[in-house]
Amino acid sequence: MLTLGTTLAFAGAAIAAGLAGVGSAIGVSIAGQAGSGVISEDPDKFGNVLVLQALPGTQGIYGLLIAFIIVLNVGVIDGNVKELTTNQGLALLFAALPIAIGGLMSGIYQGKVAAAGIYLCAKRPEETGKGIILTAMVETYAVLALLISFIMVNGVKL
Amino acid sequence: MLVPMKKAILYALKEDRDSILLALQRDGNVMLIPAAEEKGLPGAENVGNEVEKTHGAIKFMDMQVGKSSFLSSRTPVAYNKFLQNMPEAEGLAEQVATLEDKISSLRNEAITMLAQVEALEPWLRLDIPLEALGPTASSVYFAGYMPELAKDEFVNDIKDLTAETIILDEAPEGRAIVVFAYKSDGAEVKHFLKAHDFVDVVFPKRIGLAREIASDLADAARMKESLADNLEEEAKKVAGRRDELQLYYDQLIAKQDRMAAGGLETQKTFFVQGWVRADKTDEVVRAVKEVTPAYDLNFVEPEEGEIPPTVMENGKLSRPYEFVTELYSRPKIGSLDPNFMMAPFHFIFFGMMLSDAGYGLVLTILLYIVLKLFKPQDSTGKLLTVIFFGGISTIIWGILFGGWFGLEWHPLLFAPMKEPLKMLALCFGLGALHLTTGMCMKMYLDIKRGQLLSAIFDELSWLILFAGLFLMALLPGEIGKYMAILGAATIILTGGREKKGIIAKFFGGLLSLYNISGYVSDLLSYSRLFALGLATGVIAMVINTVAQMLWETGPIGVLAAVIVLIGGHFFNIIINVLGSFVHSSRLQYIEFFGKFYEAGGRAFIPLAIRTKYVDVTK
Repeated sequence: MLTLGTTLAFAGAAIAAGLAGVGSAIGVSIAGQAGSGVISEDPDKFGNVLVLQALPGTQGIYGLLIAFIIVLNVGVIDGNVKELTTNQGLALLFAALPIAIGGLMSGIYQGKVAAAGIYLCAKRPEETGKGIILTAMVETYAVLALLISFIMVNGVKL
Repeated sequence: MLVPMKKAILYALKEDRDSILLALQRDGNVMLIPAAEEKGLPGAENVGNEVEKTHGAIKFMDMQVGKSSFLSSRTPVAYNKFLQNMPEAEGLAEQVATLEDKISSLRNEAITMLAQVEALEPWLRLDIPLEALGPTASSVYFAGYMPELAKDEFVNDIKDLTAETIILDEAPEGRAIVVFAYKSDGAEVKHFLKAHDFVDVVFPKRIGLAREIASDLADAARMKESLADNLEEEAKKVAGRRDELQLYYDQLIAKQDRMAAGGLETQKTFFVQGWVRADKTDEVVRAVKEVTPAYDLNFVEPEEGEIPPTVMENGKLSRPYEFVTELYSRPKIGSLDPNFMMAPFHFIFFGMMLSDAGYGLVLTILLYIVLKLFKPQDSTGKLLTVIFFGGISTIIWGILFGGWFGLEWHPLLFAPMKEPLKMLALCFGLGALHLTTGMCMKMYLDIKRGQLLSAIFDELSWLILFAGLFLMALLPGEIGKYMAILGAATIILTGGREKKGIIAKFFGGLLSLYNISGYVSDLLSYSRLFALGLATGVIAMVINTVAQMLWETGPIGVLAAVIVLIGGHFFNIIINVLGSFVHSSRLQYIEFFGKFYEAGGRAFIPLAIRTKYVDVTK
C-alpha cells in the first residue's frame, strides 16, 4: 500500500529529475544549434564547441541526483518502499523544488550564454576559455539550488 | 614573480641584418617592436603568399590521406637541416596547389554539365534539333514550361487559336511544351501564354536533338569525373611526401616571423628595438656577437609611458597554473604574479570537487601517460599538467572522504554525504582562508607601493573584524567582541576618508561597512566545493546501482552491467573534470583575484622558432 506521503515523495523526485532535465535539454539544444552553425564554417572547432554545449547539461544531472537520493531514501532501489507520513512526503516534495525550478530556469539561461560563448569561440578561438567561465557563472545558482535541496532531503528523517 | 624587462636598442650593418635576425630567432629572447608604419622587410609579402599556398596544400593532402592525429608526436629536425632551402618542397607545394585547382574545376564543370542534363530531361522526346527551333519567315515559336495545374485548361483554350502545340514531359517548373504559331498571331499567342503563367526555357547552346545532347553531356561529365579521380589518385601518391611540406611550412613561418620587423634603416645600417628579460641580456649580446663585431647594442629601462610585455616566472610546481591566470588575463606590469599563491588553492579545490580517489587514480595515470608520451607544449601542456596535479589532489581528498568509484570505504576525515554540515564548515573554512590570503596579497601590494594607510584601513581593518567575529564564535570571553568592534569602527571612521566634508566621510564609512554583504556572498560561493563533490559522488552511486540491478538479471545483464560501469564512470569523470576545472578557476577569478589582482598585461612573444609540425633540435 502506498501512502499519500510516499506518493508525494515520488512527486518530488519526479519534478526534480523532470524539470531540471527539461531545463538542461532546452539549454543544450540552444547551444547545440549555435554550435552547428559554427562547425559548418570550421569543423576543427568541434572540441571547443562541444565543451560549451555540454555546460548547460549539468542541471539535468543535479536534478537526477536529488531524485535519486529521494528514491533511495524512500526505499525504491532496494525493493521495500517505506510508508511515509503525509508531512514527510510533503517535506520531500518541497525539498525537491529548489533544484527543480532552479535547474529548469538556469539550464535555459545557461544555454543562451553558452550559445553566445560559441559565437565568441567562432570569432576568437583563443578566448574560448573566457566563454566557458562566463557560462559557468550561470551554473552557480543551479549549484546553490542543488545544495539546499540536498540539505533539505537529508534533513527528512524517515 | 614578474620578470623585470629591459628595452634593447640595436644598431648594426644592413648587410648583417638577415644573419642577426636569424641568430636572434634561434636565441628566442627578444620581442621586436615594429617601428611606426612599418610593413616588414621587402619580400615579406611573397613569403606570406607562399605560406598560404603551402598551408592550402597541406590541408588538401590531409583531406586525401586523413589528418595526423591530434597528439601525434613531432618529428625532430636538426637546426642546420631546418635552415636548408627546400626547392623540391616549393615545387611540391606548387604541384599540389595546381592539382587541387584542376580537380576542383573539373568537378565543377562536371556538376554544371549534369545540371544541364537534368534540365534537358523533359525535352528528350522532342524530335526537332534544338538549333532548328527558331522563327521562320511566317512562323514564331515558344518553348517553355506550363504549370501543371493550368495544363488541361490551356489545351482546351489553345484549340481556338491557330497554333500547333507539342506537349512533352514534366519538370519541377511544370510541363514542357513547344508552341508554334503564325507570325501574325504571335502577339496574341504570347499574351495568351503569359496569362497561363508560361515560363520561357533557355536551352544550352548546342547542336542536335535534345536526347543526343543530353547523352553527350552526360558522357562528357563522366569523363571529367574520371579525370578528376585520376588526378586525385596522383594527389594521393604525392601525399606521402607531406612530411616535406610540413617542414617547409615551418621554415616559411620562421622566415615570415623574421621578416615581420626590420626596423628603421639608412643606406648602410639599420636600427631595431625590442623587449628582453633583464636576466637574458647577456644571451642576446652573445647571439649578436657571434654574427658580427660591427654592432652597437644597449639595454635601457622602459621609458615613461612605455608598457613592456608581462613575463611570469614560477617554480616547476606552480608554472602550469600560469595557464589558469592567462585564461583570465596577464597581470599588469608592476603588479603581482598571483601564481605561487593561487596554485595551492586551485590544487586543493579541484581535488575537493572531484573527491573520488578512484577517479583521481584513473585521471593521474591517464594524464601521466599522455604527458610522458606526447610531451604537449605550451598551453596544452600546462592545462594537462594542471589536471594531472588535480588528479593527485583528487586521490588525497578521495582518501580523506572515503570515496572510491562511488563506494564509501573508510573515510579518514568524514563522509560528506553523511555529515553535510561538517563538510560545509570545511568549505567555508577553506574559503575564508582563500579570501584572507587574497586580502593579504592586496596589503602586500599597498605596502610595496608605500600606501600604508590603504593597507591598514582597507584591508587590515577587515581582517581584524573577521578575526574578531571568528573568535566570538569560538572562544568564550570578550576579546573577540572588542576586536570586531575595533575593526568595524576603523572601517566606519576611515572608509570615507577620500570624501569631502565630515558628513560625507561618515556616510562613506558606513557604506563601506556594508561591503560585508559582499564578503558573505563571496564566502557562500565556496559551498560549490561541496555541491560539485556531491554531484560526482551521487552520479557514481547511480551508475553503480544501475549496474547492480543489471548484474542480477543474468549473463547478458552482467555484460550490460560492465558496459554501464565503464562507460558511466568514464562519462562521469569527463563531465566532472570539466566542472571541477571551471569552478576551481572561477573561485580564483571572482573571489580571489577580485581582492587584489590587477589584470591587463600583454603577452611576451619573442622572435623565436615556432613550429607546428617539427621539433627543431639544437
